[in-house]
Amino acid sequence: MELRDAQEAGLMGRIAAGDGEAFARVFEVHSAVVLGLLFRMLGRRSEAEEVLQEVFLQVWTQADRYDSTRSTPRGWLLMLARSRALDRIRWREARRRREEEAAVSGAHLELVPPLGTERLESAERRDQVSSALGLLSPEQRRCIELAFFEGLTHTQIAERLEAPLGTVKSRILLGMNKLRQALSSAS
Amino acid sequence: MTATHSPRFEELIPAYALGALDGDDLRELEEHLETGCAECRRQLDLWQGDLEELAASVTPVAPSAQTRERILRVAGSSPRRWAPPGWLLLPVAALLLLAVWGVAGQVRLRGQVERLAAERDRLEQRVASLDQQVRRTSEALRVIASPGVQSVVLAGLGPTPGAAGQTYVNPRDGSALFYAFDLPALAPDKTYQLWIIHAGKPVSAGVFEVDQRGHATLRVEALGEIAETDVWAVTVEPRGGVPQPTGEMVLKG
Repeated sequence: MELRDAQEAGLMGRIAAGDGEAFARVFEVHSAVVLGLLFRMLGRRSEAEEVLQEVFLQVWTQADRYDSTRSTPRGWLLMLARSRALDRIRWREARRRREEEAAVSGAHLELVPPLGTERLESAERRDQVSSALGLLSPEQRRCIELAFFEGLTHTQIAERLEAPLGTVKSRILLGMNKLRQALSSAS
Repeated sequence: MTATHSPRFEELIPAYALGALDGDDLRELEEHLETGCAECRRQLDLWQGDLEELAASVTPVAPSAQTRERILRVAGSSPRRWAPPGWLLLPVAALLLLAVWGVAGQVRLRGQVERLAAERDRLEQRVASLDQQVRRTSEALRVIASPGVQSVVLAGLGPTPGAAGQTYVNPRDGSALFYAFDLPALAPDKTYQLWIIHAGKPVSAGVFEVDQRGHATLRVEALGEIAETDVWAVTVEPRGGVPQPTGEMVLKG
């Protein structure tokens, strides 16, 4: 764990003890990326912000459940957010989701201006991941994104893409391995 | 063999971390993970770390001012530090007071009930004991206060010179009351036996034990003919008593 992660893990401990300042600090550092993920998954700004509130309420009330040996604070927040977003997606009707996808294309995204080295580093890392994703074939990337951002399983992806199940499985496995290689060589 | 780590599981873990695994693959891996395979757990954490990068690769979106305020207010006035509005304080305080008073009252009442039950038991025993004393005293009075009652004092003999006895005899009905004082306790196989020696012949008047103080009371009924010249004696006999005295005499009068 990097020094910054260790410091943030300390913040989680303080939040668990009811420290509002620590909570505000974690919010300032991570809320934009968490909301970015929620927006990417849910496709509607208002819904993404609703879920963001749920996520941070969960952080405030359940920070004691954070395990620094399993993930970084950011990783934990993103997984909480993803899990909540997938719950929403699963219960959402297909017609409604299509309407929201249309809303996404018309939405004005408020991009966060890079502030200080933290944001610059995040941006660099984001570029690295984008580059890594760029190394994947479009099919591999599509399969991984359908699973990760939309919560589809092997079988559901095969149905969605009208591809053989075995093909989907191998695309995901090869794509994940390629992603790891690219990420590790980038860092 | 789900318990042994194998490359097969390593192939399933990336899709599992992604949430894409389903059907038999999912079942197989979950059964294996339940065995606590440390290597698979480690790899799962690694893959989730990679997915954190994937999740964080999205374009950041700043929360609106409204969302930001709502979220930060959570920590500023959290449930852990929730302050009730003023108008709620009085009824809440009253309810709390009632609840505390109710619980304290129940505890206090339970204590009282227990104390009263113990007191009742103690008094019942006391009443039984007094009943017994009254009965004995009445019997004694009935004998002692009878007209023509005769009293005989028994003196301690050889081994028990400090002992003493007293009999009250009602010659009308042949009943008598015998008291013994300062007799030593006997071995378990022995007993004291009271005799009335009438016309030179001993007749058993009953057996008795002494209490911790060496005292005893014996009510004797229907002894038959009793004369003033009769001799009263106490001997030590085998437990249960004997038809004729065989043991050492400890009281006589």
